[in-house]
Amino acid sequence: MANNLALLDSAFHALADPTRRAVISRLRSGPASVGELARPFAIGLPTFMKHLRVLEDSGLIASGKTGRVRTCRLEPARLADAEAWLAEQRAVWEGRAERLSHYVENHLHGSSDDDER
Amino acid sequence: MTSADLKISRFIKAPPAAVWRAWSDPRHFEQWWIPAPIECKVVKLDLRPGGGFETLMREGGGEFQPHVEGCFLEIVPGERLSFTTSLIEGWRPAEPWLAVTAIMTFTPEGDGTRYTAHVLHRNETESRKHDEMGFYEGWGTAIAQLARLVEAD
Repeated sequence: MANNLALLDSAFHALADPTRRAVISRLRSGPASVGELARPFAIGLPTFMKHLRVLEDSGLIASGKTGRVRTCRLEPARLADAEAWLAEQRAVWEGRAERLSHYVENHLHGSSDDDER
Repeated sequence: MTSADLKISRFIKAPPAAVWRAWSDPRHFEQWWIPAPIECKVVKLDLRPGGGFETLMREGGGEFQPHVEGCFLEIVPGERLSFTTSLIEGWRPAEPWLAVTAIMTFTPEGDGTRYTAHVLHRNETESRKHDEMGFYEGWGTAIAQLARLVEAD
C-alpha cells in the first residue's frame, strides 16, 4: 500500500512540471525518440534527461533502445484504467475506418482513372 | 470475443475492390492510416503470409519515427487480411509496445462494402496491470483527467 501511494505521489510530482507535461502531451499521439521529444525545449540534454527519468520513475512513460535511438512511450495502464485504455484503442481504429472510408469514397471511387497514379 | 477485443464496422460507399486498393497500395495507404497533419510513410506493406508491415510517422517535417511494425498473417485479396504486431517480417517474434492482432474484412453490401476491423489485445497483461492498481479505485482515471487538463496549457 505504501508503495502504491508512493507511486501516486510520484505520478503527480511528475505531472507538476510544464516540460514533463509537454512530454506527456506529445506522447499521447504516439511513441517518440528522446531527440524528437527534446527538440522543442531550450534546455540542455542532461537537464531534459532528468525530466525523462522522473517521468519514467513515476511509471507514466517507458523507454526502450533500438540501436542508438531511445524511444519513449506512454504507459497507457498508468494513465488510465483498462476501460479508458480500450476506449482509446477503439477511437484509434474508428478513426482509421473513418479516414479509410472518406479516402475511398472521395479518391478511389467514381472515376475510372483515379487509380492511375 | 473477450473484453479486450474491439470490433469496428463501417459501410463504405465503394466496391470491395476500391477499399482493398486503399489498403494494398502504399501510395493510397499513406493517405489515411495516420490522422493529418501527422505524415505516414510505408516502409513495408508486403501482403502475403509472413510479409512485413511497417509504417513510420512524422510531425512538422521532422524525422520519421517508428509507428507500427508487424507481420501479415493471412491475405485473401479483396476479401480479408490480418496482421499482428507480436511478430515481424518472416514470422520473427517481437516484443511490441502494444501487442495487437487485427483482422480486416471487406464484404460486398448493397452498392458498397461492409468494412470490419476485429482487433484483439493481450487481455491478461493489460487487465492485470489494472488490478494491481485497483486499490486506488481509479486513481489512474484521475491522473488521465489531470493529464487532459494540463494539455490545455
